[in-house]
Amino acid sequence: MNDRLIPWVLPFTVFLLWFLSSEMEIVPLYLFPHPFEVAQSGWSYIFGKIGDEPYAGRFVYDLAASCTRISLGFGLAVMTALPLGLMSGRNRFVHRLLGTSVDGLRAVPGITWLPLAMVWFGIGIKTTVFLVGMAAFFPIYLNSATGAREVDPLLLQAGAMMGVNRFNAVFRILIPAAMPSIVTGLRLGLGISWAYLVLGELTGVPNGLGAIIMDARMVGRTDIIVVGIFLVSVIGRLSDLLLKLLLRFCFKNAL
Amino acid sequence: MLCDKNVFLGVENLGKQFPGNGTPLTVLENINFEAEDGEVISIVGRSGCGKSTLLKILAGFLKPDSGSVFFKGSRVHRPGPDRCVVFQEDALFPWLTAGENIAFGLKRQIRDGSRIEREVDRFLDLMGLSQFRDYLPREISGGMKQRVALARVLILNPEILLMDEPFAALDAQTREEMQELLLELWGQFSHTIVFVTHDVGEAVAISDRVIVMDKNPGRIKDVINIELERPRRREDVNFMRFYSRLYKLLRD
Ligand SMILES: Nc1ncnc2c1ncn2[C@@H]1O[C@H](COP(=O)(O)OP(=O)(O)O)[C@@H](O)[C@H]1O
Ligand SMILES: [Mg+2]
Repeated sequence: MNDRLIPWVLPFTVFLLWFLSSEMEIVPLYLFPHPFEVAQSGWSYIFGKIGDEPYAGRFVYDLAASCTRISLGFGLAVMTALPLGLMSGRNRFVHRLLGTSVDGLRAVPGITWLPLAMVWFGIGIKTTVFLVGMAAFFPIYLNSATGAREVDPLLLQAGAMMGVNRFNAVFRILIPAAMPSIVTGLRLGLGISWAYLVLGELTGVPNGLGAIIMDARMVGRTDIIVVGIFLVSVIGRLSDLLLKLLLRFCFKNAL
Repeated sequence: MLCDKNVFLGVENLGKQFPGNGTPLTVLENINFEAEDGEVISIVGRSGCGKSTLLKILAGFLKPDSGSVFFKGSRVHRPGPDRCVVFQEDALFPWLTAGENIAFGLKRQIRDGSRIEREVDRFLDLMGLSQFRDYLPREISGGMKQRVALARVLILNPEILLMDEPFAALDAQTREEMQELLLELWGQFSHTIVFVTHDVGEAVAISDRVIVMDKNPGRIKDVINIELERPRRREDVNFMRFYSRLYKLLRD
């Protein structure tokens, strides 16, 4: 069989089963709507004109809201976790200082922060950004620490002998050498960001991909819930691809 | 005793220990030697006798526990582009191309981009690397990598070249090619070379002087002047004489 077809076998089978079970109404349609109905709702949600139908045309606004929250939360995580991770990977003191606390915090499931975040920040963008940032912090921190720790000392010695001072060594040698690990951390972090974005948005914000899913539940629009899940999966995957391309463009040889 | 100001490179009563489990391991003990400007010195010895440790101290990567290293009248205490190392293992920056690796150190010294380009071109040419300019280290052979490693330090115009078994991982033919190249470059740049090897033939082929080291603790066992005209031929009777003399010294 063609190698490129194999990944599509499973989704296609699932779709076929879904289609058949809807046609024969094995599962009641209000629990799991017909694929054509989902497709129609999805089309209207993405391309429809506002007002035609309750959810028509809202996609752009939800996407914009979600992307803003992700960028802020993920950005905050990168800005804190990357420098701290690199430092703890290279410096015993920083490692001793942060290691235990980071491990302790990491043991707390991200969802546990939700009630506290709601008390602190209320319902809205800040809670979501906090949750996203909190979740993305750990994989970025841990992977950049590992990457920095495992940089071959020979490379740093070679740099020192060629006249690189300690400050420049960070940017010229440490970061490029640790780049493969850093990229792993960033990708894991972005992946988990989407999970916590949806969690944050389920708490009753007016827009965003998570909000639409919760909203649809309250008015019994299972089709829109399925559309939302599908879109989160596609956009999550796309953002990973985009991140990968961007990093490869910026650091092509380091990867 | 302070080293004579006129000595180019002086090593005095050098000692180094590593903390073992329980008792510290004495790796170097009472190492003394001097090198003149432009001399080629080889250090030979069994593996584990402290050759790399000695070279790292000369480079300034490691601090000795006793004694000191003097270079042109001042004490060595940190690495610098005047004493460059060619490592045994692959220490090129894997994310930079051959050309970028060679330009790396020069970029710390001068800003003029076109001058850097010209110098890099000159050294690529000198090393026979021109066609590999845009290749990454993982895309070229071991011999080519060591040429890049040599070029990236020679471009800095170092006064001493410290080499730690730089050709040990190469096949016999490439190794001899590299030895010839090294001597050719030495003829051109006349820098001092301290060359660590465990290959006796290599030591006889390139050195003015060979320092033979003992193991446990690492001490200087003997120093032999190789009084042979260059270019040297391995089939030469006198070459053979030095070879077997060194070989015996190492084995005993
Ligand atoms: N950083 C270190 N810590 C502890 N022991 C070391 C260290 N570096 C080298 N040694 C030990 O010192 C001895 C000499 O090592 P080295 O200088 O690498 O020898 P050579 O280069 O002659 O093979 C070896 O027994 C080695 O295990
Ligand atoms: Mg060694």
